[in-house]
Amino acid sequence: MFNLFKKKAKFYSAKILNNDKEFKVSKGKNLLAAALDDGINWPHKCRVGSCGSCKYKLIKGKISPDIDFGYVLSFDELNDGYALACQSSLKSDVEVEIELKK
Amino acid sequence: MKTFYVNARYLIVPLMTIATIFGIFLGNNFVWLGVILFGFNTIIDTLTKDIHLRADFDEDGNSFGIKKFQYAVMYLMLPTFIVLQIILAWRLFHYTSAYPIEVLSLFGITYQSGISGINLIGATLSAGLWAGLGIIYGHELSHNRKEGFFISRLIMSLSGASHFTYAHVYNHHLDLGHEDDPATAPRGRNVYHHAWLSHVGQSKYSFDLERDKLKKQRKSFFSLSNKWIIGYLYSLPSIIIFVWAGGVIGILSLLVVWVISNFLLEALNFMGHYGLIREHGKPVEHRHSWDNDNVFTSWFFIEIGRQGDHHVRGETYFWELDDVDAPNYGIGYFSLFVLTLIPPLFRKFTKELLEDWDRNKATDSERKIAHQIGNL
Repeated sequence: MFNLFKKKAKFYSAKILNNDKEFKVSKGKNLLAAALDDGINWPHKCRVGSCGSCKYKLIKGKISPDIDFGYVLSFDELNDGYALACQSSLKSDVEVEIELKK
Repeated sequence: MKTFYVNARYLIVPLMTIATIFGIFLGNNFVWLGVILFGFNTIIDTLTKDIHLRADFDEDGNSFGIKKFQYAVMYLMLPTFIVLQIILAWRLFHYTSAYPIEVLSLFGITYQSGISGINLIGATLSAGLWAGLGIIYGHELSHNRKEGFFISRLIMSLSGASHFTYAHVYNHHLDLGHEDDPATAPRGRNVYHHAWLSHVGQSKYSFDLERDKLKKQRKSFFSLSNKWIIGYLYSLPSIIIFVWAGGVIGILSLLVVWVISNFLLEALNFMGHYGLIREHGKPVEHRHSWDNDNVFTSWFFIEIGRQGDHHVRGETYFWELDDVDAPNYGIGYFSLFVLTLIPPLFRKFTKELLEDWDRNKATDSERKIAHQIGNL
């Protein structure tokens, strides 16, 4: 009976423009978790949307914020397309910019 | 079969909450069922303190937990807690309207109409304890997506504590182990003092968070975008129904429910990080939380006792949390809760554990801070 609840896997692709990296993000997984699973050294600390360490700039594509970014990001950052990777669900393939850790 | 077992084991609180509601409905001595179950759980938790299980995964590393099922249960806990309050309000109405105590029948179920003063106390204590234990769903959902976060706020508002959802995510998860986190109890503080300081501190944090956000957005503090104010307004229906059902006695009863449920919430915060130290700005590591992971605590509290893993992987669903070699009390939450109620006993119990933490888990800087604080 529990098999009724299982859903089909679906992926979007995320491209980090300034580092020439690309990875898959499965539906239901946030951008940060998918990047870390792929071995990408994406900066992060709290993973719950409170510290702002995983901030990135969305260049192309659509995301759905899991929480209100307004508590952590400034007004200007929001207007410039910044978002938090740990609270971003993808709605399409995306292209982003981020400063990766060395 | 394994899938069924892994998912069904987290149904203890929903089933016992429903039993508590049914007990209050039946009346007479059944109204005490919630209190009796709490005591029963303390015994089971103590007897099973040495049984520790890891999270279950298949050979490919996939969890057996079914997200939609677990979320459906958590969401359904909101109407369940609403019914818990309504059934208590119904009993209050019986008491204040001096309904005669007599046996009646509804849909073939025999129950006692009317309620004595002593049984009204029992019904209030039962409702308070289970409203408090149910706060685990408010916690779990605070870490999830928009609708889950909203349900979390509503569940917490039934205990007059909807500020928790914001303070927990933006304050506690960022600042734990440091004095900037009101939910972390420093060494030497007792649970009674902590419950008050943590509750007020988290509400103040949520107030400041909204004030700063609205200032950035150039909006008035008294705005519909103010989540601190809106959160408390969510509690209004509870106040109205209790005033309507019981007047002054209704208010007293709701106050008892709120005090008990908030005390249980803050006791969980107290136990989760008591005496542990983190330098400001340093990453949150497994060593900054206490684990309580005996089998009964894990299943009953939907793995909330796996604090070490939860605070490092805050986005992880409860059924995927695992043993990460965090500091461990070695006993479950029910048994530990009894110890916290007697502060000298709790300090005696934690003294050796904290000395061990200082020696074997703390960094040099954390050890230095511990030495300055003393107070074991």
